Amino acid sequence: MSGSNRLAGLKARPKDTTVEEVRRVDEVGEARGFLDRTPRKKPGRKPSPRTYQLHPKVFPEVGQAIAAEAEDRGLTQGQLIEEMWEIYSSARR
Amino acid sequence: MPVIVMASPKGGVGKSTCAVLLASEFARMGADVTVLDCDPNKSLTRWASHGVPTGVTLRSEIGRSEIVPTIRSADGDGKIVIVDLEGVASQLVSRAISQADLVIVPMQPTALDAEIGSEALALVREEEEALGRSIRHAVVLTKTSAAVKSRVQKELEEQLRGAGIDVIEPSLVARAAFSELFAYGGDLTAMMNDPEMMTGGKVDKALINAQAFAEAVYERLK
Repeated sequence: MSGSNRLAGLKARPKDTTVEEVRRVDEVGEARGFLDRTPRKKPGRKPSPRTYQLHPKVFPEVGQAIAAEAEDRGLTQGQLIEEMWEIYSSARR
Repeated sequence: MPVIVMASPKGGVGKSTCAVLLASEFARMGADVTVLDCDPNKSLTRWASHGVPTGVTLRSEIGRSEIVPTIRSADGDGKIVIVDLEGVASQLVSRAISQADLVIVPMQPTALDAEIGSEALALVREEEEALGRSIRHAVVLTKTSAAVKSRVQKELEEQLRGAGIDVIEPSLVARAAFSELFAYGGDLTAMMNDPEMMTGGKVDKALINAQAFAEAVYERLK
């Protein structure tokens, strides 16, 4: 097989594949077991980047107040402590 | 120019080898060949990482939603698109087939390959019906014996032809050079001309086989 002139005779043959045709092709494939096998994302929530633990012992009423405040504001206690730290740090600057 | 799709839901039948051989041969003839590696095993990407022949462009990591637009954007006058698919039954396969001018189903001459490969042939025929146009398709037997045609191979060829299925001649013989292309990259001609490449096989015979195979495919694209 030689000579590019032979290949020049082969022309592009565009196919008018509409969304409807792709859907029909998918249906035909699915009926024969050719399914969508695109890898799915891992189920479940992503691991939190908050990995450091604090274990402070406080008076019960302070602990309960922190817990209630976090719950009211839809935050975790860790997020609330981060916010408190931010305010404290700004005040010191 | 034509879109050639390698399809079989079975892995290890020689889809990637067929794709590499055709891409190399058509590029040698002067065509601008785009190879789409849609196999998660990335065989063609590995081959290309060692170097691709002049005239061959590789595109990889193409999923189900990208396959149709990618084939369309790669197609054009003076270009040949070769699609290497994953060895599973997926929508990516059925969508690629819908864009093909020729579907090649590689098959080793074994009952298992024939049974699983026939799923791809059946799918092509059902897509033809659904789309209202013909999609040319053919089987090529792979990893066949260089010395003799086995009884199983003869029977399989008879059965396929009896069922009206186009069988590409010649088959692709089991050659070390074909598998070693993936270790060295490039094409068989480069392999033959480079004394540093140790194939442990007859590259010249492999090249003759590949050229005859590409010629047979070209005849089906006219």
